[in-house]
Amino acid sequence: MRAVLYSGYSPNELRTAIVVATYAFIGLFFVAAATFPLLPLIAARFLRPSRPTPIKLDTYECGLEALGDIRVQFKIQYYLFALAFVIFDVEVVFLYPWAVAFGQLGLFALVEMAIFLAILGFGLMYAWKKGALEWQ
Amino acid sequence: MELVVFILTALIALFGAGAMLISRNAVHSALFLLLNFGAIAVLYLLLQAPFLFVTQLIIYAGAIIVLFLFVVMLLGAERDDQETDRLAWQRPVALVMAGLLLAEVVYVFTSGVNIGAINAPAVADFASPEAVATALFTRYLFPFEVTSIILLAAVIGVVVLSRRATHDHAAVATQATDLTQLSERR
Amino acid sequence: MTMVVPTAYYVLLAATLFTMGALGVMIRRNALILFMSVELMLNSANLALVAFAQARQDVGGQVLVFFVMVVAAAEVAVGLALLVAIFQSRQTTDVDDISTLRG
Repeated sequence: MRAVLYSGYSPNELRTAIVVATYAFIGLFFVAAATFPLLPLIAARFLRPSRPTPIKLDTYECGLEALGDIRVQFKIQYYLFALAFVIFDVEVVFLYPWAVAFGQLGLFALVEMAIFLAILGFGLMYAWKKGALEWQ
Repeated sequence: MELVVFILTALIALFGAGAMLISRNAVHSALFLLLNFGAIAVLYLLLQAPFLFVTQLIIYAGAIIVLFLFVVMLLGAERDDQETDRLAWQRPVALVMAGLLLAEVVYVFTSGVNIGAINAPAVADFASPEAVATALFTRYLFPFEVTSIILLAAVIGVVVLSRRATHDHAAVATQATDLTQLSERR
Repeated sequence: MTMVVPTAYYVLLAATLFTMGALGVMIRRNALILFMSVELMLNSANLALVAFAQARQDVGGQVLVFFVMVVAAAEVAVGLALLVAIFQSRQTTDVDDISTLRG
């Protein structure tokens, strides 16, 4: 870092370098997390004996014979739960910056967020009232 | 160093996008799109937007791709082997038009405007989560509240659509059985 | 050591990704892939916005990206609900098969 500081780069370039250096750890973790499972898998591919028979290649289902196709249609109702997840995921993303800057913004931000949550809560109430959250 | 990271990430993003277009299997397409979104998230980091990096992963990778995969599973329609284009002549035309669009954009950005000239002096703590939040809750207050209406509209739309879908389905099914009974009676 | 990436590179990458998304909308007939291509186009626009925000050192571009993400989430939710509804009555995700209104 010190070498970079003395080499006459603009503050903007420096800040980018710092961001990259900070998050390089996440990249390293990602690489480690990818190699950890991949290495045994690749090693196993070369080390294991390969003598497939139809019975060995059969899907293992607790020792029973596998029934039907793997591609079954799920119930459409699951979609509503996935949607509820997406909506509240987006809502939480807005809550993070709000929480970070709450100290500076004060009461005004509290009222804003209350309105935001109230409007989204109305959506949840609507879905609830229409029985979208009930399992049929 | 930064340029190397940019080029690698850009190549991954382009690969993800291309593979998404070509892939015949909808699940594979969704996963390649996820790769593309992840690469774009890394580019956000390079652009000094760490908060958007996290948001990109939470919303796109965490929510939207999950929704896509969910629908693929729901419909059991991941394999699309017999995708036939009824207007086969459209395909080469589309390729030509896409090439034209790309050439046009590249031309505009390399000759029309001088992007290098808009480099502003660096601002301290530009785009820290606090800065984003302050802008979001003061200058962009009204758009922020409007987004809640958009989300509300989405919830109501989906609830209405999925309820009507199940009802219609049931109605069509009973109608169909009625018709078969009718024809049997005849 | 630190070679800064010019904004123009990001914009060119965004333009390429946008073109690929547009191409996907034009050549693919599976409605799911169509939605994915639209998402790709929205993402490339986001990338250009963030690149310009960095060039101008103005956080407004990043805030706009937030709103685009919310709109994208809402759009995907409603669009996929439509797709599910169509699939239930038509058993297809091919947009060429959904041509009843054409008469």
